[in-house]
Amino acid sequence: MATSPALKQRPQDHASLPPLAALTRIAKTYGDTHANSDVNFDIAAGEVVGLVGANGAGKSTLMRILCGVTEPNSGAMRFDGQEIDLAVYSPQQARERGIRIVWQELSLSPNLSVAENFYVEQPQFVRRSAFWLRDYHRLANEAIERIFPGAAISTRRLVSDMTIAERQMVEISRAACDPRLKLLILDEPTSSLGAERSRQLRDFVRALAGEGKAVIFISHKLSEVLSLCDRVVAMRNGRIAWEKPANEANIDDLVNAMGGAGVGQRAARRDSRLEAAGAVQVRIDGPWLAGDQRPVELRAGEVIGLAGLEGSGQKRLLQALFAKKHGDGLERHGPVRYVSGDRQLEGVFPLWTVLDNVLIGRVAQWAGWRPVNVQKNRPAVEKAAQRLSLDPGRLDSNILELSGGNQQKALVARALIDEAGIILLDDPTRGVDIAAKRDFYRVVREIAAAGRLVIWLSTEDLEFLECDRVLVFSGGKIVTELRGEAISEEAIVASSFAKPEKSAQSAPAREDRSLLTMLLKSIPFVSLVLVFAAMTYQNPLVASGFGLQLLLTPAVTLVLIAVAQMFIVGGSEIDLGVGNFCGLVNVVSATILFTAPFTGGAILIGLIAAYALMGLLIQARAIPAIVVTLGASFVWAGLGQTIQPSPGGASPEWLRAMFSFKVPGIPTPLLLIFLVGLAAYSIDRSPAGTILRAFGSNVLALRRAGWSHNRYSVLRYGIASIFVMIAGLYVTATNGASDINAGTSYTLLGIAAVVIGGCQLLGGVIAPLGVVAGAVTLALIGALLASLGVSTDYNAAVQGTLLILILALQALAGWRRSRG
Amino acid sequence: MADALLNAAQRHRWIWPALGVLLLWAALTVLTARFSLHSLSGVAMSASFLLMPALGQMLVITTGRGNIDLSIPSVITVSAYVTVVTASSGMNGFWLPLFLVIVIAVGVGLFNAMLLLVLRIPAMIATLATGYILATATLLVNARVSIFPRPPVLIWLATGRIGGLPVICLIALTVAAVVGIVLARTAFGKQLSAVGQNIVAARYAGVQTARLIASAFVASSLLASLTGMLLAAYAGGAFLEMGAPYLLQSVGAVVLGGTLIAGGSASVLGTFFGSFLLILIVTTMQIAGLPAGAQDILQGLVIIGVLSIAGGKLRSRRD
Repeated sequence: MATSPALKQRPQDHASLPPLAALTRIAKTYGDTHANSDVNFDIAAGEVVGLVGANGAGKSTLMRILCGVTEPNSGAMRFDGQEIDLAVYSPQQARERGIRIVWQELSLSPNLSVAENFYVEQPQFVRRSAFWLRDYHRLANEAIERIFPGAAISTRRLVSDMTIAERQMVEISRAACDPRLKLLILDEPTSSLGAERSRQLRDFVRALAGEGKAVIFISHKLSEVLSLCDRVVAMRNGRIAWEKPANEANIDDLVNAMGGAGVGQRAARRDSRLEAAGAVQVRIDGPWLAGDQRPVELRAGEVIGLAGLEGSGQKRLLQALFAKKHGDGLERHGPVRYVSGDRQLEGVFPLWTVLDNVLIGRVAQWAGWRPVNVQKNRPAVEKAAQRLSLDPGRLDSNILELSGGNQQKALVARALIDEAGIILLDDPTRGVDIAAKRDFYRVVREIAAAGRLVIWLSTEDLEFLECDRVLVFSGGKIVTELRGEAISEEAIVASSFAKPEKSAQSAPAREDRSLLTMLLKSIPFVSLVLVFAAMTYQNPLVASGFGLQLLLTPAVTLVLIAVAQMFIVGGSEIDLGVGNFCGLVNVVSATILFTAPFTGGAILIGLIAAYALMGLLIQARAIPAIVVTLGASFVWAGLGQTIQPSPGGASPEWLRAMFSFKVPGIPTPLLLIFLVGLAAYSIDRSPAGTILRAFGSNVLALRRAGWSHNRYSVLRYGIASIFVMIAGLYVTATNGASDINAGTSYTLLGIAAVVIGGCQLLGGVIAPLGVVAGAVTLALIGALLASLGVSTDYNAAVQGTLLILILALQALAGWRRSRG
Repeated sequence: MADALLNAAQRHRWIWPALGVLLLWAALTVLTARFSLHSLSGVAMSASFLLMPALGQMLVITTGRGNIDLSIPSVITVSAYVTVVTASSGMNGFWLPLFLVIVIAVGVGLFNAMLLLVLRIPAMIATLATGYILATATLLVNARVSIFPRPPVLIWLATGRIGGLPVICLIALTVAAVVGIVLARTAFGKQLSAVGQNIVAARYAGVQTARLIASAFVASSLLASLTGMLLAAYAGGAFLEMGAPYLLQSVGAVVLGGTLIAGGSASVLGTFFGSFLLILIVTTMQIAGLPAGAQDILQGLVIIGVLSIAGGKLRSRRD
């Protein structure tokens, strides 16, 4: 790998070349916010362009437009000499043309291994082979080692087990290894990388440029941008504010270009607050402080900023302050309100008017029985709205009809409507236009002046100039406290990178957790052995070939149904209809298939199609799977009942023969279970199975990678229906008769087997072999209870309790995880 | 004009099931001589038995995040059995089962809420498992059932009439009115809607989300258990499959009534008409002589159909 010499050999004269990519007169608005207006941006082959700007300056929007995720309102784009029709431009197209982006919010699927994640983004290398994944292990290994020599990340590890830095390395390597690559966009790539890895990445970027590839490098680390890039572009309020070759620029220029502080404004602000020194409202101590600082006391009337790189502990502090009054080194006096800047997810109530949205801030504190008269409370809401210069005429509009800035005002009004003494602001100006921001800063001042304590987390360092004091976080702790004139962007950035003493506690927690995970994984197998041992102890004949034949025959059905349910759970959904569907297949195969094989066969194929269609419906209309499958379960049961009102029928001879083949020395059901397990494992490990699993966790990333959710939903339900269908046919073959109610109990049993098998109901984590073992165990438990003389009446309760116990254990593991 | 009408229908989603009831009723009256005001009172009684658990289901669904109560049928059956076993013909014979049934309901509701809130088990799995455990309890009680001496009060509540109006209808209407007032006019109603729309925002606004969700599950169990008690008195006994129809129908009535399946917006009036419509559909099929299987098929299809038209997501007005 070439090191520093490469940095010196910059091709200086890119201007003379035709640009590789050119965006002209791009405009994009969200409501009244101009995310991009009149932006012209180009980059030549072999050029490295640094893109800087405050948060919300429009960098991300511009990059989303460049790679086809967002369609601009107007503007044009050329890439590689071709005009691009932005109306039909898509992420897939961008990819095919060689534009790759590493997103700031990481887009790996946590439930997949590193190699599998490479497949999700680079499916073109796949071979038709059982060992297809080996290629991806090699590819991933080579890609990571090429950029980060010595990183030694095992490509078999699940992404969820890796640190943020490791994930970032995987993410970068994955995008950069595309052979079609012409333009690579790196959005804050070094935010969690250490110094050495950052240097390796910079070397790689220069090497890429040397190969004639273009790189856009977005970063807040300005010195890094200056040392790496050929040219720097600064954005501000959705426009390109400044542009220069890197060797003619310095950090001060950049800070100014990004929108340095209005000094006069700042001075005026300072005067107004000198006298503020109210009672102590919050005390921060112990685990929150790095080194041996004195406890930090926050007083009424102050505006306190929480600064630091994202994820350095600021948000955790805010959450902890909100959650309780005492504990974990925190002490809070008086009630508190929380205003989140993530309005869609954590702020607005989308069905309500502005009035209701504000008023809930008061009503939420009331006892449930207390009557609410909205109109009587109107004056109070109006007063709060006026204080925020929010037009009272808009109180009766739906909250979503307001612009982002006005929505945010409504949310602040919600916090102000009652006399809570402490206001927590969680990045409140995210995505708010500049005028609304100015308004907002004034309001924050007034709130504090009225004697409240404002604690303000911001991701825009410039906003801290509005604060009286700033607590700078690094590595989960407060490393510095800045006051008054000492508050500056440079000081904050400098402190943000200060490392507190090593926090050595994370390693043991990790081991602890993997032990518990191991335990959970082994549950199905251990319990299978235990149950089987207990049964053999009871009756040694159990272990004979005949005994196994007898015992395992009912288990085959459950194994099949559990595997079907597993594939549904792999998509973070649940199917309440599998049991009845099995019953329906049982009925059809014992009646129509018996008398008229061709009609029967056609009906069965039609049923699979219906099931797949159900998958499409659930996905395309965004309806909860449980309700649809619950409705469908009645359809299946009703169909079965109509075809055959009371138990009866007979199995076609060929069907019986199909399931009763003999291999000497092995009981047929055991062989069948083995085959089902093998099939489930192979499907799960196949390329399609990998994508099915991936959809269970990070849908957005999969969509961006160009996978169709509808298609895979159809595939998911199709696969499930085939397994259930085999189960139904097997019941017919072994019982020689049918009963529509025979399948009902399998629904819960199937879910229980899936859970015992080590799958997680959310997040796409599934384990085919565990599920098979879990299903056999459950089937045996029924037999064991019977042989112990326990009434079958208790079966349902035992299964239900078992299900709850295992889920409780999983919850326990989850808690450990979130603490570790 | 048409726009205003559509807008009103959008806001008052109960209009659709109400229209459905009217149309179906009119069609039945015209097409069959057998359908009269008398048979309407039968429909009304069945609808009343459905309305109560459906209101409970509605409260749970309104808490959002895919919450649903699948233990309703088991709670109904268990309560019916407990009533049959503990009732005796006297006033005390009424209070004792009532007390027991309420205790069971509160216990089940809290247990469900605990599984959901503490152990983070998805509501559908938690309530499904609870339902299975209750089913075992039912089987055990079933073995002990002998005669059912019904207290007169209970008989009157379940089958009596006041001036031609079945008492059970009055009970259901009263319950519906209470739930309606609570949802529309109290802090609880506002908080419930807030939690269902956006639980994180509700928590940040200061709503005690856990307590609220727990109370929705308890209310659901309570309503189901009272239904079970009355149903036992109405049918003169209890049987194992007694609650089974209420699994799909309670969800169906809620969905038909226009309550958002994603949570946050409940419609008591809608659930009222939804219950009525669902029972009317079943009755129509019975009059038409369709077998039980066909009824299940149609109910299932109606629910899936209505949901696919309505869509599952909260639709913002900007889209």
